[in-house]
Amino acid sequence: MGMMEKIDEIATLDPREYLTFRLDEEEYGIDILKVQEIRGYEPPTRVANAPSFIKGVVNLRGTIVPIVDMRLKFNCKNADYSAFTVVIILNLRSRIVGIVVDSVSDVMELPQDSIKEAPEIDSVIDSSAVLGLGSLGNRMLILLDIERLMSANDMGLVGSPD
Amino acid sequence: MSDMHQEGSGGGDFDLTQFYQIFFEEAGENLDLMEQMLLSLNLETADDEALNGIFRCAHSVKGGAATFGFSDVAELTHQMESLLDRLRRHELQPNSDMVDVLLESADASRSLLARHQSGGDGDATPTADLVRRISLLATGKAAPVQTVAAAPSVVEKAAIKVEATTQASSGEISSSQRKLEILIGPLERPEQADAVQELFRDIPGLGEISAAPTDAINTRCFLVKTMSSDEDLLDLFAFHVSRDYIQIKQLDVALSDSMPANQGEAAAATEQLNSFDDPLPDAPLAPLPGYGFFDGAPGAPSVGATAPAGEAKASKTPAKSSSSNATVQPEAATIRVAINKVDQLINLVGELVITQAMLAQNSRALDPAIYQQLLSGLADLDRNTRDLQESVMSIRMIPMSVVFSRFPRMLRDLAGKLGKKVDFVTQGEATELDKGLVEKITDPLTHLVRNSCDHGVESPAERIAAGKPETGTITLAASHQGGSIVIEVRDDGKGMSRQKILNKARERGLDVSDQMSDSDVWQLIFAPGFSTAEVVTDVSGRGVGMDVVKRNITALNGTVEIDSVEGYGMKVSVRLPLTLAIMDGMSVGVGGEVYILPLSSVVESFQVRADAVSTVGQGSQLVKVRDEYMPVIALEKIFQVPRFDSDKLCDIMVVVEADGSRVALLVDELLGQQQVVVKNLESNYRKVPNVSGATILGDGKVALILDTGALVRRSRH
Repeated sequence: MGMMEKIDEIATLDPREYLTFRLDEEEYGIDILKVQEIRGYEPPTRVANAPSFIKGVVNLRGTIVPIVDMRLKFNCKNADYSAFTVVIILNLRSRIVGIVVDSVSDVMELPQDSIKEAPEIDSVIDSSAVLGLGSLGNRMLILLDIERLMSANDMGLVGSPD
Repeated sequence: MSDMHQEGSGGGDFDLTQFYQIFFEEAGENLDLMEQMLLSLNLETADDEALNGIFRCAHSVKGGAATFGFSDVAELTHQMESLLDRLRRHELQPNSDMVDVLLESADASRSLLARHQSGGDGDATPTADLVRRISLLATGKAAPVQTVAAAPSVVEKAAIKVEATTQASSGEISSSQRKLEILIGPLERPEQADAVQELFRDIPGLGEISAAPTDAINTRCFLVKTMSSDEDLLDLFAFHVSRDYIQIKQLDVALSDSMPANQGEAAAATEQLNSFDDPLPDAPLAPLPGYGFFDGAPGAPSVGATAPAGEAKASKTPAKSSSSNATVQPEAATIRVAINKVDQLINLVGELVITQAMLAQNSRALDPAIYQQLLSGLADLDRNTRDLQESVMSIRMIPMSVVFSRFPRMLRDLAGKLGKKVDFVTQGEATELDKGLVEKITDPLTHLVRNSCDHGVESPAERIAAGKPETGTITLAASHQGGSIVIEVRDDGKGMSRQKILNKARERGLDVSDQMSDSDVWQLIFAPGFSTAEVVTDVSGRGVGMDVVKRNITALNGTVEIDSVEGYGMKVSVRLPLTLAIMDGMSVGVGGEVYILPLSSVVESFQVRADAVSTVGQGSQLVKVRDEYMPVIALEKIFQVPRFDSDKLCDIMVVVEADGSRVALLVDELLGQQQVVVKNLESNYRKVPNVSGATILGDGKVALILDTGALVRRSRH
């Protein structure tokens, strides 16, 4: 028990690693520990009565995994599916979800002091799901609390459809 | 008493709780085994093997219970063990009263264990009455007395009280401390005799021993203080030294009845005798954790001879005493594995099969002349994958005997209660079934068997009057037929009356005619509400909860059929898929998408003519199929299937049945029938209306499995 607390403590103090990806012109970062794997896009099986950004479900080595297109969710202008379109498979509290993004950039460490609080802005993203803005040179990373984002009600991934 | 024992066993700093689960599992198995053996015990010619087996079971449970501090269980099983011990020594003749009380005690132990397992909530099952009845039976006959060893341990205070009556009635051996001089020898290797000293160390409450000088060559002399009888000691020593070399001399008759067996007395005794060396410093008088189950082990040979492995694990008994006399219980070569590990294995193999299919597909275009080796490798892979899949699937399969084994007991109790005579016959116990199914089929089967006994089989008088043998027979048979398993419950009772069922159905306003086939008539008893008390008496009672049975079995993708001849009995056949994870499906295409229908609910399919469909009210469509109108559900609309080729029209209808009603599903094409592996959609996503799950097709794509029940319900609104 004590060991785990210590690890948690270290994890919060030390710079965390983020996986960065692009949606249109914007760059986002999510906690690398939530990422299970990265795959190419393959057309999923459509599921009826789902919001448009839920593309359907795919077979991930025997597990049925829903696929969310973040570009549709965040109202990006273009949502094409090309050879470079990738799916990030997330493992969020034993639930597995895939998100479609334009491209994955890299994995980077961000020291805590380079993360600035996001100002209140009008956005399609629920502000509580934005952890902050990471600045790295002249790049701006939008750091997402991907777990909160994916479990939100409007995501339609959990709960009853009624 | 319970508390005291808790203290005693919890005193050590060794945490036993981690072994609780193992103990509960083992105790459950032992009780089940004991019950089976008790039921199959032939009272007249009970063989030693069976009696010993039953004894071992009780002994193991007691041992474990005492070790882990479940004193109530330990006490009860101790009593059972005492009775069984006398049975196996042929001091008592087994009778059905004993079997009854032992069965009841097994039940009580089970419920006590369940209570401990759930953390001690709820009321404990009272056991005092059982304890009294067992001890009464144990004392019942005046046989040469083998006192059930009275070890003065804290645990067994109550037990001793009971045993005191035994001893009093026997009048041969007093319960008080006795001082003995034991001569062992002459032996070739006198060191062998020293081993008996260890027995006193290892078995709490046995007493004290100390070596004494002797003149005889190759002979050892010991001074012993014990409460055990000579016979018990001899039995115990026989592990190390043959009985013939042992002489026991009593030094001092009954020191005092009232004097407690404690260190103080030991000291006094030492003084009095003046020949004791220092009392063994580590001779334990109080039970130690881990030793508890040897407390007063009656018939001491059991200590080593019959202690099964499970117990040896928990004990600190030196290997010497537990392995010296070897009737090793045959142990089933099995391992316990968490079910999710097996499921993961099945998943992975499923993936492998798909990958293999893909490789086979892609390699078809290759020139066999050039790629001969690659192709033969792929052929091997194909075969190995199939074998692997079969083996892995078989891991989840367990034999039907697991289900069947619970019925003899139930029937015995039920028949006894109803005053009927019933023989129970099982066939095909080795037939294997998926574990998940086994759990779910048990209740419906119990219901069917109970019905057969309750309402099918007549009372002995009625049977004789009808010219049948007095004893009825209920048969439970399992067999594989194709991809399904068929379980039959048969009885040779009075069967069902066709006319009475028809009359009853008319009374209830059901649509029936005299021309209905027998099987259709029998199906009527599955109608909900057909199971009123009135029906039970009128229609030989087959109605009780039959609708529930049918519903449960249908939920498992199974079917129920009934066959009956009035006066000769009836047969209920339950047909089930081999596993829940695999289902026979029919794949249908709708606008480029594939959906799977459970084959068990598909009635028929046909190409529809435009004029066969009529519209009612606000656009609900009906189709006429052989004088029956049924609602039409267009899958295209329900699943909002996008259409790119607008000229293509749905013109195939698949009639599906669920919950007793039928609907016609409108689809583009029928793609075929195949076995599909059912996957849960909700583990990562949410519930989707009208969909019961998903599966992975041969090309690796996901297809949704339709919930026909939901579709039918939908059509009703």
